[in-house]
Parts: sequence; C-alpha cells; structure tokens
Amino acid sequence: MSPDGPIKLVSELLDLPLIDSDGKYCGIVDDVELAGSPGKELKLKALLVGPGAYAGRFPMWAMPLVRWIAGDRVTRVPVASIRNIGAAVELDGPGSKLGLLKSEATARQWIPKKGAL
Amino acid sequence: MNPLELTLGIMTAVGGFVDISELVFAAKAGSTFGYALIWVFAFSTIGIIVFSEMSGRVAAVAKQPVFNLMRHRLGLKLGLITLAASIISNLITCAAEVGGVALILNYLTGLPYMAMAVLVTAVLIVSIWVLPFKWIERAYGLLGLFMVTFAVALVAIHPPWHQIAGGLVPQVPHGLSTKELLTFGYFTVAIISAVMFPYEVYFYSSGGIEEEWSIKDLLTNRVTSILGMGLGSLLAISILASSAQLFGPMNVDPELPGTAALEAAIPFGKWGLILALLGMFFAVAGAAVETCLANAYSIAQFFGWMWGRHKKPWEAPRFTITWIALFVAALGIVLTGVDVMTLVEFAVLFSILVLPLTYLPLLLLSGDRKFMREHANGAVTKTLGWFYFAVIMIAAIAALPLYFLTSGGNG
Repeated sequence: MSPDGPIKLVSELLDLPLIDSDGKYCGIVDDVELAGSPGKELKLKALLVGPGAYAGRFPMWAMPLVRWIAGDRVTRVPVASIRNIGAAVELDGPGSKLGLLKSEATARQWIPKKGAL
Repeated sequence: MNPLELTLGIMTAVGGFVDISELVFAAKAGSTFGYALIWVFAFSTIGIIVFSEMSGRVAAVAKQPVFNLMRHRLGLKLGLITLAASIISNLITCAAEVGGVALILNYLTGLPYMAMAVLVTAVLIVSIWVLPFKWIERAYGLLGLFMVTFAVALVAIHPPWHQIAGGLVPQVPHGLSTKELLTFGYFTVAIISAVMFPYEVYFYSSGGIEEEWSIKDLLTNRVTSILGMGLGSLLAISILASSAQLFGPMNVDPELPGTAALEAAIPFGKWGLILALLGMFFAVAGAAVETCLANAYSIAQFFGWMWGRHKKPWEAPRFTITWIALFVAALGIVLTGVDVMTLVEFAVLFSILVLPLTYLPLLLLSGDRKFMREHANGAVTKTLGWFYFAVIMIAAIAALPLYFLTSGGNG
C-alpha cells in the first residue's frame, strides 16, 4: 500500500511497527499528523513515533508510568520517508537519519560490547 | 525443508515441552486421580499445537511477531492491558522456573537453595548473553531430552497400558464426592493452563522471526508444532502414568517437584534418579530462559524497540537491559522465600486468566486475509481455534472459584 493512496488510519496505520531500509525496528506509529482544513481533503503529513505521542490516546493517569518506563521522546517522520505500508511501515532510509533510534543509542552506552558469540 | 534442521527442531521442541508446572501437576494428577486426567494433557496439547502453528505462520507470512501485531489489532489501551497482564504472568512463571531449577540443583548437590537460585540466575544470564538464539534454543531443548528417562521408566515398570489408553477418553471418574469433583475440576483447569502457557506462543513466534522464517518454512512450522509438542506431551503423560502406578496406591502426594524424579529411581536406581534430575534441570532451565525472553520480546515489540538474540546484546540494548532486569526481578521473587509450589500455583492461575487476551488477537490475526493472504486460517484451524478459545474462556472463568474452593487443589 502506498502512503499517497487512501488509508484507513486506525486499521491500516496506527500501532504498526516501523522498519528502516536496514531492516531495523525503529519504533511504532504512535500517532499521526494530518494536514487539511474543514471541508477539504485530509492528508497524512507525518507519523509520530515515541511514547510522548501516546498522550492524546491514553488516560492521563497512566502517562507518568509510561513516561517512567519508556520516556517521553517524540520523533516526527515525514510521509515522504515511507516506502510501503503493510504488516509494518517500511521506511525509505536508515532510521538514524530520521532522528529515530536515539534511545537505543543512549542505552547502548550502558552495555559492554564483548562476550557474545 | 532441511531434514536435519527439521529433526533438530522437533527434538528441541520435545525436550523443551515440559516445564515446572507440567512436572508438578502431572505427578500430582496421577497420584490423586490415577489415569483419569491423561485426556486433559492430550486435549490441551492439541490446543497448544493449534495456537503455536498459528503464531509461527503469522511470523513466517506477515514477518511480524505476535505482540507487534497485537497492539495494532487491539489498540493501544487494550494492548497495554494485555502487555501488563502478560508481564505479570510470565514473571511469576519465570520465578517458578528459576526456583524449580534451584531446587533441583539443591537435590543434586545438597548446597543451599537460595545460593543455588543466585547461581542459576547468573548462569542463565551469562548463557543468553554469550550464545546466539539458535544455540540457546537448541542447547536447553536438546539437553532437556534427558526427560525421555521418564518415558523409559514408565515402560520399565510395566504399566497397565489398557488403563493408560482408557485415560485418553474424556471422562470424570465415578463416585467422587463434591469436594473431589471440585479438585478434579481444579486440576483440569491447571493442566490446561500449564500446557497452554501464554509465553509459549510469544517465544515460538518471536523465535520464528529470529530464525528468519518465510513462507517456505510453513511446512517446517506445522510439522515442528505437531510432532514436537505431541511427542513432548507424551513425556508429561509418562510422568502422570508412572505417578498413578507408583505413588497413587501408596497415597504418596508428590508435593515437591523432585518427587517426580523418584519415578525413574524405582526401576533404574541411582542412575535413573540422576538422569531424571538432569532432564528436569535442563527442561526447567530452558523454560526459565523462554519465559524471560518471551517477556522481554513482548515489551520490546510493544514499544517498537530493537529486539532479538540473533543480534549481539549491544545491538538491541533496551531489549538486553529488559531481559536482564526481568531475570533479576524473578530472582528477587524467589529470594523473598516464597515456596516454589506456591509460585507454580500462582503462575498457573494467573496464566489462565491471561490466556484469552493472548489467544484472541492471535486468532484474529491469523485469520486476517489482509496480513495472511492465502495462508489465513482454513476451516479446520478456524473451527479448532474458536473451540479452544471457548474452552479457555470457560477455564478462565472457573479458575479463581475452583482455586479458592479447593485451597489450590489441596481439597
């Protein structure tokens, strides 16, 4: 499915995993940014990725817990970066170039890089 | 389909089938109700085969593990509730497995139980860190084949085969009092839960992604599910049948997990005991690894983190931190001093409550032609899937009342 065609937001896009051009998991489509105005066609502008984007979809009381576990980062992925939408959203380039994978990079500093076969 | 890979896959599934809960409930069921609960093991095994095959198929066709798609299908809120319930259920199960391995080491060496729990956790963490996924799965699964000792021991004691075969027919024994009927009901629910633990499908489907399954692996998935779990179930049935013949008539209640090992000691002496304990050790240690990784998979997949043990630990850092933290949390539960049997009972009880939340999205996903195309559930799988889902729902509703009415199966 192309991001330019008609999309059912909830059943075909929200909460799907994102995979970059290197096959790395880069997050989940946590929310979307739309462009348009009353009476005009709505267009998908960007995907919002990261636990900070849950705020609009989640009971407020649960947010502190989510923030504690997963943080509150939000990354905006422009629609032009999407290659295909299927069982996952495939991105056109490496996630790091889109500002994704920053939390992984931070966590990586804590892990010793030896001992694994 | 590579015959060597397929054989190894089946043997791994056989060796990894039995865990601490099945071990405990098979032995207790045999000593309490003779051969009358064999059919529940057979019935539940068909259920786990159906759902494992589905989860492996989803992994091979949609190239996504179950939890990734579960959130998409259930939505964020219900998905989070499922995640929270799964984490609690798998964590208790993992603690029960760690406690079980520590107890077996305690039997084998005589060293203190708590020290063994710390040692076991450290060894399990190091083994997951060092070994790639396939080796982790194979090492524990193949070494778990020492459990075959129980099947050989059953043959050696010349059991009444016609009564064992009769146990495969669904039945409720005649002449039970109301209290005994309730206990029979509790054992039925507990065995269904122990055989169909939710972590098994999370681990199996994530394992399919780890091993890069594709449509060409669908037959391997089906054969591994059917033969691996079917033959693995025979080991659990062997424990039950030996217990029915050896412990039941003498009114021995195999309350401790180690009691089951005596089933092999009676026909084979010291070496039978050692081989049975080794089988239990590797099978339960393998289950500890699976429960811990299944939990870490679920969390990482829900939040969209990089995950997998086909990667080096530092290539999926949040996933790595998560599974280490979960092992430490499981150890923490064991170190509180809570009894292993209590942990087993809580694991079984909590898991049956979580099962409908686990299996419903899987059933929906594997039948969704948008994701699965021509590989979506056929009529037989769909019918079996919904039938078992109804059974799980009934078991989940009955679990808590039965637990309280029977004081956890103790009458």
